[in-house]
This record gives sequence, structure tokens and C-alpha cells, in this order.
Amino acid sequence: MTQRTRNFLLLAPAGAWFLLMLVVPLSVVLVFSFGERGAAGGYVPAFTLEQYANLPARWAAFRNTLFLAPVGTLSALLIAYPLAYFLAVRVSAKWKMLLLVLVIVPFWTSILIRSYAWIFLLGGKGIPALIEFIGFPAIRLINTPFSVLVGIVYGYLPLMVFPIFVSLDRLDKRLLEASSDLGAKPWPTFLQITLPLSIPGIATGCMLVFILLMGEYLIPAILGGGKVFFVGNALVDLFLQSRNWAFGSAVAVTLIVVMLATVTVYMRFMARLSANRDDVSLI
Amino acid sequence: MRLYAAFVYLFLYIPIAVIAIFSFNAGRNASDFVGFSVKWYGKALDNPFIMDALKTSLTVALLSALFASVFGAMAAVALQGIRGPVRTAFDALINVAVMIPGIVIGIATLIGLVTIFEQLNPLIDAIWPFASDAPRLQMGKASLVAAHTMFLMALCIIIVRARLAGMDRSLTEASSDLYATPFGTFVQVTLPLIFPAILAGFLLSFTFSFDDFIIAFFVAGSETTLPIYVFSSIRRGVTPEINAIGTMVLGASLFILLIAQTLLRPRKGK
Amino acid sequence: MTKQPDYISKQKFMAELYRYKRGSVTRRHFLNVTGLGAASTVLGAAIPGLTAGPAAAGDIGDRAVLATWPNYHDPENFDAFTEATGAHVQVNVFGSNEEMLAKLQAGATGWDVFVPTNYTITTYVGEDLIEPLDTSLLPNYDPAAYDTRFAEAGSVDGKLYAVPKNYGTTGYAVNTAHTGGTEMTSWKQFFDMTMDSFSGRTMVHDYQLTTIGNALKYFGYSFNSVDQAELADAEKLLIDVKPHLFAISSDYQPSMRNGDAWMTMCWSGDGKQLNTDIPEIAYVLGREGGEIWSDYYAIPKGAPHREAAYALINFLLDPAVNAKEVLFHGYPSADAHTNALLPESLLNDPILYPAAELLTPLEFGAAVTLTDPNRAELMARFKSA
Repeated sequence: MTQRTRNFLLLAPAGAWFLLMLVVPLSVVLVFSFGERGAAGGYVPAFTLEQYANLPARWAAFRNTLFLAPVGTLSALLIAYPLAYFLAVRVSAKWKMLLLVLVIVPFWTSILIRSYAWIFLLGGKGIPALIEFIGFPAIRLINTPFSVLVGIVYGYLPLMVFPIFVSLDRLDKRLLEASSDLGAKPWPTFLQITLPLSIPGIATGCMLVFILLMGEYLIPAILGGGKVFFVGNALVDLFLQSRNWAFGSAVAVTLIVVMLATVTVYMRFMARLSANRDDVSLI
Repeated sequence: MRLYAAFVYLFLYIPIAVIAIFSFNAGRNASDFVGFSVKWYGKALDNPFIMDALKTSLTVALLSALFASVFGAMAAVALQGIRGPVRTAFDALINVAVMIPGIVIGIATLIGLVTIFEQLNPLIDAIWPFASDAPRLQMGKASLVAAHTMFLMALCIIIVRARLAGMDRSLTEASSDLYATPFGTFVQVTLPLIFPAILAGFLLSFTFSFDDFIIAFFVAGSETTLPIYVFSSIRRGVTPEINAIGTMVLGASLFILLIAQTLLRPRKGK
Repeated sequence: MTKQPDYISKQKFMAELYRYKRGSVTRRHFLNVTGLGAASTVLGAAIPGLTAGPAAAGDIGDRAVLATWPNYHDPENFDAFTEATGAHVQVNVFGSNEEMLAKLQAGATGWDVFVPTNYTITTYVGEDLIEPLDTSLLPNYDPAAYDTRFAEAGSVDGKLYAVPKNYGTTGYAVNTAHTGGTEMTSWKQFFDMTMDSFSGRTMVHDYQLTTIGNALKYFGYSFNSVDQAELADAEKLLIDVKPHLFAISSDYQPSMRNGDAWMTMCWSGDGKQLNTDIPEIAYVLGREGGEIWSDYYAIPKGAPHREAAYALINFLLDPAVNAKEVLFHGYPSADAHTNALLPESLLNDPILYPAAELLTPLEFGAAVTLTDPNRAELMARFKSA
């Protein structure tokens, strides 16, 4: 068997799978996006740019997504980073594995059920009641952008903790010791050594969370009370309520394009940061 | 620092505690605890639809993870030695597959497959040689496994590839210097080295597929997976039965983890 | 027992026999379509394999899949059905008629029975998604016993597609502990209060018909209007109200019960359920009008367990079973046999049976609202605003 035949055989299943389940469906979506809605819903073949011209009707959904996805990613990063740092640098090897596993365990309960638990916690008989009990004025938490943000951070925290932990764990502890031996204060050490070294982990974590948030549907639906509307919710409504397959396809195509553009820009930016990191690590 | 970590763990586990506590609620309502009872566990285990949904979820997750990790590993190994347009095409497909939101995968698969089936079904009817009704292509377990596998395969390729990239090339070179056949080199050197990555891909895929709601919501046809069942129940007003399922799935995962840890613990003196 | 043809071609017979042997049709179906039903006791012995055990249990299969609305059936009735037939009832709950239609249009739902509302049935017929009903398989269905107002939408062009389940109204539920003594009587109050003292405490439905329809009623327009100018007024009202809403969701019972929400658009049965458990929650019909509706049982094209579907519908139409259903869900039945079994107090209940002056201005939903793209887009703009 030649090298060529071997490679062909190894690639054939994956290639066929991508073709049938990725290229073909996406092509159908692209074709549908130039079509029209049938009288009772569904799709009627046509060639028109009408669906794309109609995109401003979903501008609010895109705006919400493009606002809450970065904010959610950043919040998850801010909460995850200290924990990942703690696990990688401060915890003894004996406890490290256990504590790390404890970060994933909540992931094994359905995200649906966990989000539902948050309805109770953020609802009138949960945390607001506790706050009132302590003596502060009662506040509304459930069905607000805040409750959606809590759900997002909660749901995606492990995805952020893991890559950062891995990049920090690789970090040579002797570097930190050397730095403090040389009389550097903790914060400069962190900013000049630790943080730059963990940039690949940050980049991976943020990317994972950001991608998932851009298509989010469940968390806003459950914790936003139908008032916080992402592109994902717009898509579900277009296919399951107004049954406008043509317009829904145009929204889907636009979402893909926006994502590819955002992620490409983001990767360029991160690559530049990583390049700087090399300079830092040389010092 | 410790305090902060404790706080984050509290944040992670309070909802889990809420789920577990309400699974022992004697009342019907998931927000008013009226008394202790384990009856919802019995109800959940007796409910044929929950058991069916669990079976469907396990089957789909197992098959998807198997296809994704095996075909993904095969592709990753082949891509390692390839340059040129084939490589470029695959890289692009993998990136697109990973980057597309699940909801778009779900919708695209639905309308893509429904469109294809509409074309093919009359054709099958026409050429069906038997007197009985011709089989109809429709959405179901197979389409769900196919959709999950597509996306998870891309993930597995990335994971195995990262492992291959970190691999010491001198090992394979040494192997072929010693006149090992390419296949022999693969089985004795490469495979053991990438096996942890394949396993990691399999486990990740299984977890994802088992918990996926949004793709299944569009692609599963008449099949009900556990997340779909839970979603439907939530609309009906959650009973503690759902909490009982969640707690049991969590308990089972912990149990498996414990066994795995015991079995995989590195032997002393090695 | 059935109206099946007594003659079928030899080829068809062999085809049916083949299907029966493969297990893709049940014994009863085979006997019915081949006309062997009546003679089965004689012939059964002659054809090997047809003498299956007792008819009841295995006959209709082990399940029936029902697509319905939340809080709409007494679980005990399903247990009784399982006991009697051996078939489990799988309940799938939906949020709107639009969603049911969307799932059916996309193909392969796997439902055996679904519960469409009056105004959707012509669309299902037009889209060829619904099966005409064979009344010989529904001995409990007595058309003469039904109030025609709530049964007529089940027939399209003289063909019966759906049999009545129950009817009801769409008004709103309000927790009177928070109204400060104001008597709530209109949709105008509903929206005005929401923007005032009920800010952050009101819920509206997550589908177009009633949310837009009741906003139209605020201005005194028809509930079913598709007029652009009138819809524009309704849209402006809804967008103004949105920041004051607690949620846009059709699952309002949990929030009303735990006190997070004080007022919600509400179907009369939910209103009855809430009022029974928490007396200070009142059910109000807007003076201006609103929706009256009737839900039906129907079988989608290609139902996988057709026998079980008929058995389930027939079971649920049994007056004794139906009376239990009514007591559970709190919606009135249009079936005289069922009503004969209900307690007097329920038949005089003002939530189930509103006074004539409140009932008169109510409108049945119109088919055009289901497919009107403008109403769908308005709803989307409202939700994303």
C-alpha cells in the first residue's frame, strides 16, 4: 500500500462525513437564504436578496448577542483566572487533581436542570429573599440581563478554567521563585511573568466560551424570561414560530459570517500578544 | 486566595445542592419543600419514557463518541503527513465545524436532510422491488448521531493533532531506522503515544453528546433524548422527578469516575 | 364493527399479509383492512400465526405519543389508559400552535395524537398534515351531544378531521392582594397597570395570537386584525410595555404561584387552577373582548401508532374520563354527556362559564393570524426590542 492510498483511506470517512453533514447542509442553508417564505411557512424556491435586505429587523438580536457574548466571556475570564491560578500555582499536587475534577463535576448534570435551579435561586424566594432578610431592600434578579449573565458564567466557567490552568501549570515555578529571590514584588512578577505566559490558555478559553455564547439559546430562554433575546433565540423563533425558513437561513448565514470575522480578528490579535510573550519570556 | 476559591466552589455547587435537595421533596412543586421523600426516585425509575430517553441518549452518545474519536484519529494521523490543497481543505472544514454554533448545525442539518429526503424518498418508492411499503428516510437516531459525529470529529482531530505535534519525531524515525514497517511503527510507537488523546476525545465527545439539547431539538425527529425530555417537562412545570434524574446521572458519573481512578491509578514501584 | 371494505385485491392482501408478518402493522389493522375482522375467529385458526393471545393488550402497541399543552390532562387518566390497554402515553408539551405546526411541517414528529386549536385546523388540512378521522373507531364520539359552536371547526369541507376536547377563554389572572382595591375589568387596565404599579410583575404569552390580539383590544380593534395601521398601534403599545414586563412566557403558573409575578395573560383553566389553590388570584375577562377558543384531538399524517391514537382519543372522549379531565384542568367541555357527570357548582362557575355580556364580545382566532408574516414579525420585534 502506497503512502497515498493509505492517507486516502484514513481520510475517507472524515472527508465523506464533513461533505455530507457540513458542506451539504450549509449549502442548502445558503441556497434557502436567497429564497422566499411559503404562504403557510417553510420555503419556496426563488432568487431574491429580500431576506438579506430584511436583516435590520433582527438588528436588536445581533446587538444583544454582540454585547453579551464579550461581556459574558470577560466575566467568565475574570472569575476563572484567579481560580485557575490558585489551582496551578498554590495547591499541592495531592489536592490538585481532586479540586480540578470538582470544577467539572457540575458539568455532568444537564445544563437545563442547572439553569432551572438558578430560577429558584434568583427568584423571589431565593437570593433576593435572603438579601431582604439581612436588611437590604429587595431587588429583582430573575429575568434580567444580570440573571442571564450569571447563567452564562456558571454554565461556561469550567471551559475557561481548564485551558488557563493547563497553561499556568506548565509554567516553571522556578521562574517565580527566581523573580521573588531577585526582590521583585508579587504584582510585577505576576504582570511580567505569569500573565504573559498564560496568554495561550486565556486565548483558548475565551475563544471556546465566546463561540458558544454567540449561538446561545437555552440560557437566555430559561433565565431571561423571554425578554433577553439573542440571535440563537431569533433563529429558534424563525424556525419554530414564524416558520420563515428563508429569512431564518439568511440570519444563520449572517451569524456564521459575523463569527468567522470576529474570530479571525481575535486570533490575529491574540497571535500578536503571544508574539510579545516570547519577548517577555526571553528576559 | 483560598477564600476566593472556596467562594467559586460555593457558586458552582449551590445549584447542584438545590437540585439534590428538591429531589427529596415530598411535594409536587420544585420550589416549595414540604417534606422528605424518596418517592420521586422510584417514579423516575418506573417511568418508561425516562428510561427510553436515557437509553436513546446513551446509545447516541456512545456511537457519536466512537465514530468521532476513531475517524478523527485516523484523519489526524493522515493529515500529519500531508501538505497542499487537501490539507488546506481539511483545515478549513475543521475550523468551520468547530466554529459554527450548535444551533446553526441543528438548523442546517434539519433543513439539509429534510430537503435531501424529500428528493430521495419518491426515488426509493419507485425502485423498491417488494410489495411492501418502501422504507422512508427520516430524521431520527441516525441523523442525530451523524450530526453529533460531524462536529465532534473536528474536535477529536484537533485534540489528537495537538498530541501528534508534541510528539518526539525522533521516535518514529528511530523506529523506521530499525527497519520497522510503517504499520509496525504506527502500532508500536504512534498509537500508544496518541492513545490518551483519542481517549480524551472519546470522553469529551461522549459528555457533549449526552448533554446536547439544541442540536437534538432540531435533528432528533421523533426520538426523545434525556435533555429533550427534561426540556419538555420543564414546560409542564418541573416535578422533583427531574431533580431525581439529574441527581442520579450525577451520582452515576461520580461512581464511574471513582472506578476509573481506582483502575488507572499508577502502580507503585514502577 | 368497522366500515372497512369487504373486498380487497389479492395483491393488496399479500402486501398486507407481508407487512403484518414483518410486524409493521398490527394484527387488528391487518384483519380490518383485509376484511377478515369479522371472520377472524373462523379463519384465525386456518392462517398460522394469526391466533395471537388476548386481543386487548398487545393489539394497539405499547405506546401512544401525545403532543399537547401544559397542565392539560389528569395523569391518573393516562395511568388508567395504560392499565386498560398496556400502552403508555408519552406526553410532549408545546408552547404554541405555531410550534406544533412548525414541527409537523419539518416532518417526522412521531406524534400519534395532537391537540390543535380551532383556527389552525384549516391550515393543517391545506398543508396535508392531518388525517381525516374514521368515526367507526371512535364509538365514544357522539356529534349530537356537542354544542356546535365548539365542534364545527373540526370539520373542513364536510370531512371530520378533529373532535372537540374542551373550550375556554383567554383573559388574565391577577393577584388581587396587590391591586389596592381597584376592580380589574379590562385590557386597558391590564396594560396601564403594567406600566404603573405592576411594573416588573406582569407576564404576557410567548406567541403572537393573544399577545398581539389583546394589545389590539386595548384600542378596541378586532382581536384578529391584520390591518397594518392597527398592528402598528399594538406594536407601539407592546414596545412601551416591554420594559415593565416580568417575562414573556406561556409558562406562567410557577411565577404566579411563588409570587414573583402578580398578573399574567391566562387561559381560563389555568385561571381556575390558580384561583382554586390561591383564592386571591382572580381571573378576569377584558370588557373589550378577547379570545374564545376550542381545542381538538386530531391525528397527524403518518402517525406511527395509529391504532393507539384512536384508542387514546376514544378513551379520552369517554364521558367519565372526560369529566375527570375537566375537574383537573378546569376548562369547560362542550359535550352534554360529560357535563351531566359534573357537579352543579362547577357548571355554575363564573371562570368556566362567564356571563353572557362578557362572552358576547369574544372572538374565535382566525386562521389568517397563524400564517400572517406581519404578525410574526411584529412579535419578533417585540421580543428583541
